[in-house]
Amino acid sequence: MSLGPLAAVVSQIAPLVDPSALLATGGTVDGLQTAARVLAEGIGKGAVYFTIAVGLTLVFGLMGVLNFAHGAIAMVGAYLGGLVLVLVVGANTGTLATILVFFVALALVFAVTTAAGSAMEVALIRPIYDRTPTYQILLTFGVSLIIEEFARIVLTLRGIQPNPQWQAPMATAPDVLLGRTELLGIGVRRLYLFEIAIGALVAVAVWAFLTKTLYGLYIRAGSEDTEMVQALGIDVRQAFTVVFGVGTGLAAVGGVLLMWDPIWGPSVLLSVDVLLYAFVVVIIGGLGSFTGTLVAAGIVGIADSVTTWLFTTGIVTFPGLSEVTIFLLLVVMLIIRPQGLYGVEEVGGH
Amino acid sequence: MDETDAPVDESDPIPPSTATGGLREYLRDHAVHAAVIFGFLLYPLAYEALLATPAAPFAEAFLPAVTFMIVVLYMGLFAMSFDFVSGYTGYLSFGHAAFFGTGAYFVVLAANGQVPGVPGGTPFMITLLLGAVVAGLLALVIGSVSFRLTGVYFAMITLGFAQVIYELIRSWGYVSTNPTEGATVSGDALAIGVPYVDALSLDVGRLTGESVENLLGLGVDLSATVVSYYALGIVVVVCYFAMQRIIHSPFGRVMIAIRENEERARAVGYPTYRFKLAAFAVSGFFGAIAGGIFAAYSRSVAPDGTFYFLVTADALITTIIGGFGTLAGPIYGTLFTQGLEDVLSTESGGVATLLRERLPESVLQADLFGISLELFVNTAVDGRAPLYLGIVFVLFVLFVPNGILGTLRDRLGGTVGKRLPDHLRRYFR
Repeated sequence: MSLGPLAAVVSQIAPLVDPSALLATGGTVDGLQTAARVLAEGIGKGAVYFTIAVGLTLVFGLMGVLNFAHGAIAMVGAYLGGLVLVLVVGANTGTLATILVFFVALALVFAVTTAAGSAMEVALIRPIYDRTPTYQILLTFGVSLIIEEFARIVLTLRGIQPNPQWQAPMATAPDVLLGRTELLGIGVRRLYLFEIAIGALVAVAVWAFLTKTLYGLYIRAGSEDTEMVQALGIDVRQAFTVVFGVGTGLAAVGGVLLMWDPIWGPSVLLSVDVLLYAFVVVIIGGLGSFTGTLVAAGIVGIADSVTTWLFTTGIVTFPGLSEVTIFLLLVVMLIIRPQGLYGVEEVGGH
Repeated sequence: MDETDAPVDESDPIPPSTATGGLREYLRDHAVHAAVIFGFLLYPLAYEALLATPAAPFAEAFLPAVTFMIVVLYMGLFAMSFDFVSGYTGYLSFGHAAFFGTGAYFVVLAANGQVPGVPGGTPFMITLLLGAVVAGLLALVIGSVSFRLTGVYFAMITLGFAQVIYELIRSWGYVSTNPTEGATVSGDALAIGVPYVDALSLDVGRLTGESVENLLGLGVDLSATVVSYYALGIVVVVCYFAMQRIIHSPFGRVMIAIRENEERARAVGYPTYRFKLAAFAVSGFFGAIAGGIFAAYSRSVAPDGTFYFLVTADALITTIIGGFGTLAGPIYGTLFTQGLEDVLSTESGGVATLLRERLPESVLQADLFGISLELFVNTAVDGRAPLYLGIVFVLFVLFVPNGILGTLRDRLGGTVGKRLPDHLRRYFR
């Protein structure tokens, strides 16, 4: 038995952590400022994670359907939003006007995809509610395949590379968002502030939808006990259609938000990426829980920014650190508390 | 249900044969297996014979080339291993790619002498088995925490494990200098057969494989690709019968009991947790064998083609199309999807090539909503298998939820192997 390769394996792992780099980052004042900056970036990332995940949890909460097409719809949202901006925003468009167009795009994309999602629910998902949850997963996954390939075809016909990112809409981001702003003594990227603002807006809108509207009432009741809701004479089928539509629309809103973010940007690969990250957030928060999704998005965002910081400063030299950490969070949460932080036990089981 | 236990259905127009024991019944039961294997054996020869006839352009366009049939073999085996645990115990293993990847990477790293304790130059058959055992152990580890969960949560935790391993492998510099691109076998061709006996083993690989000239004096030449196809085929057939044996054993009955009603199985006294764990380990073992033969044939592995979520998704799609919980179904599902892939790609003369060559220039340049027909064919037909596959998949989920083989079994009233001879006998009496 040769131990040569074993030593090689060990020597590969050992230099991944470099404590001297940590000491090199400086004294306490610097350290505090760095911590505040990392925290702010974490909240910014968390706002993005929240926006892409909240629709998934809404749909699951009421209907028990894990929508595998969620990522594909976010991808479509990113492209549709990008299309609006590319068409409207020119070189002379001012900052305020551009941001206004962004909100118009957000509203337009939400309206279109909500309608499309409702139609999809009626046409495809309604016929298979009586089957095991596996078939709803399979069906929505098939839909995501179709959407993704269709997007590739349309993009290729229009002469746009499906992957990497479509640069044109990313270039419409106003210069103001690219810089940093001094806030309590730390430089925070304005894009993160913008994302936090949008995330907060979405959170408030969804919260209002859940607590102030009739359908919100159905969702909250339905995620506790669907049968009881039906027994009280509520047309659950209609509620399902509305909620699936809204969930789809929220996925697309998440996509529009990703459009200006240089880490994401409109590309067909968003389809799988958004889906996987949305799963992580939704599971950690507890399937079907709004509060849980909010908290979990913050946790995942901060974990992401901390690990990214660890890598960029050279303290940890393993390049996949932040991805590994995020998926480990998912696994660990499922081991110690399968129902998630705020989830209801029994939901999502057999 | 076993034939002997089956209640006699008086209304069944074709009662099951009552013959018991003996070689005759054994052969009768396996007649369909033999026919299928014979078909797979004959296919490359028939395909090449067809290419010599005037029908060649159509055969090239509509029949899968041997390179695609090789994919059918290893992806079919992988899908079978997925079906073994997911279709029979009802636990959706969404991280199954972890086992495929483990088998593939183990084989490649072992061939390059990078696995501690396995010297470089160890015969492929041994590293293949070792890799499969490692994957089986990995399945025990993953399963020991995952099987405490059910339903969506089980699917998610296995997916989580697979993604963690995927991200680790993608960034682990030990694998190669550029781990995102994967690793390549640098040495000689890997051989399937009896280890250390050169005469009884076949080198595989599209370029590195053995080719046979004038087979047994019959005047038939076999290319390296065709030899690889047969070599991989042997492994797949052995694995299929091993899994089929397990499914038909008392152990397999408990797996089905867990799928149908786990609480009852537990109440009857079966330690279901251990049964699920064992089934998962077996499934991981065979999933790694599939990954291993894939690595031996392609001689290079990449994280995106082995450990990624979409590899599991491929197995899932083919399993649903072929028949969930039928074991043999996934290979027909893979045959279907790879056939579609071949028809729609230009790698071996698909339908796009046929259209471009056969259609007159004026038709190709015809205007279709602002784009020429040729451009439409190039973008909407060529290499667009996933789109049509997605549509077919959704239609299957909606209208044929039992898949090809499952529906066939429902029609025949039992497994094809047992019931088809009885049905055929009606016509040949």
